[in-house]
Amino acid sequence: MGKVKIKRKSTLIDMTAMSDVTVLLLTFFMLTSTFLQKEPITVITPSSVSEIKVPTANLVTVLVAPKGNVFISLAGDKDSTFSSENMRAELIKNVVAEYNRVYNKNVSLTTAEVNTFAKTNMFGVSLAELKGWLDLSQEQRDAYIDPAKNPEKAGIPIDMNQDLSKPNEFQIWMRAIYNSSNPNIEGAIKRGEGIAIKADKSTTYDKIQVVMDNLQTMKMNKFSLMTALKSEDE
Amino acid sequence: MAQIETGGDSGKGKSHQKKMSIHVDFTPMVDMNMLLITFFMLCTTMIKSQTLQISLPTNEKVEKEQQNKVKQSEAITVILDSDVNAEGVPTKNYLYYYEGMPPVTEEGQIDLALNPMKTEEFLPNEANGAAQGMRKIFQDRNKEVVNRINELKAKWKNKELASTEAANDSVYQARAKEIRNDSTLKRPVVIIKATPNASYESLVTALDEMQINSISRYQIDRISHNDSVMMMAVKGIPYGQEPAEE
Repeated sequence: MGKVKIKRKSTLIDMTAMSDVTVLLLTFFMLTSTFLQKEPITVITPSSVSEIKVPTANLVTVLVAPKGNVFISLAGDKDSTFSSENMRAELIKNVVAEYNRVYNKNVSLTTAEVNTFAKTNMFGVSLAELKGWLDLSQEQRDAYIDPAKNPEKAGIPIDMNQDLSKPNEFQIWMRAIYNSSNPNIEGAIKRGEGIAIKADKSTTYDKIQVVMDNLQTMKMNKFSLMTALKSEDE
Repeated sequence: MAQIETGGDSGKGKSHQKKMSIHVDFTPMVDMNMLLITFFMLCTTMIKSQTLQISLPTNEKVEKEQQNKVKQSEAITVILDSDVNAEGVPTKNYLYYYEGMPPVTEEGQIDLALNPMKTEEFLPNEANGAAQGMRKIFQDRNKEVVNRINELKAKWKNKELASTEAANDSVYQARAKEIRNDSTLKRPVVIIKATPNASYESLVTALDEMQINSISRYQIDRISHNDSVMMMAVKGIPYGQEPAEE
């Protein structure tokens, strides 16, 4: 009666192949990814059969929150002179200058504040409070423009103003973007590719109409609406 | 791969070759990679949003003579409206529409008997393969164009238009555009209006139907006083009593 000999087998598995695969996957994700941009509020866009993709460069996104707060995000050119950061830095200076001129105010920003603004993807705060907002910490800034936490103050002030000699703040922003030193964004806006309105599908039309009317007043008659792809076959 | 054979060290003789194999454990490396992959997967957007391009008419006053008058027989006005709940969130979408001019009598009163306004609930656009709801309204009025486009589409699917795939696509696009803008066909002009309560979704759906039904002439307009009066008159009747167009 011989004892059954238990063969000792090493449980070591060679992980090299596995490591190869994961590195490949990692490379793929790193190269193909575009990061989710932080937005003050998450919206679910309605769906359409349109197959025109949202451009990645030279785009102004106007986000309309369900309660009507308006936010703007600006994407610059791929070219480094007019990168998003440079364009935002230029934009904020022009906007503040225009605001001071139109409303006889005396707002001035420090270099640090301009740099903070250049790094912010989406903004929506009145120009009177802009300086104070830029001095807050990242978290406080996010909370300040969150329509759920601060419904009164979040968003760029907008009204039905039609007199362009005394533009409202939304009009100041949009005009400054249009007149920026980057010629490509002006071209994109003229072609109708430069402005995209993004809103939740349950937003009521009056909130959207305010934005559309303002754009119309500024003669930016062509723009696009952001939608998601409809799965249904036509 | 993970083994490195270290050949003869500095020894004098050949006799004393020590074969040593170095096993590197890659498990922690894999762990770390997996974590990174998870991070990238969660932080990326794979699906890019689509856009629907629209252009609004200018605000500037246009001289009466320069205005393009739309033929009455071709015009159809669509008004979007929604029920809203206490929080102001739209719950149910409705559609009102009339053809031609609003029915204004000589005294400036609205008389729905002259030109009835119809109302419909937003329905899924297709049921059992047949169009219904908004799609049916537009499809019926743009039949000539839709039929031609469908014929063309069939040819395009069978690749009969040109020899290569790319040429096939471009011929299709060009011909489809020609058909959409062919003035010899009966084409409707759609005027889309929306009440303040209408949901954004219904507006996008309406614009989308223009593309689906190959309607080349449409426009977003502001709701007028006459439209509101007509809607109030129609709303006096509870929905459902008067069966909308089937």
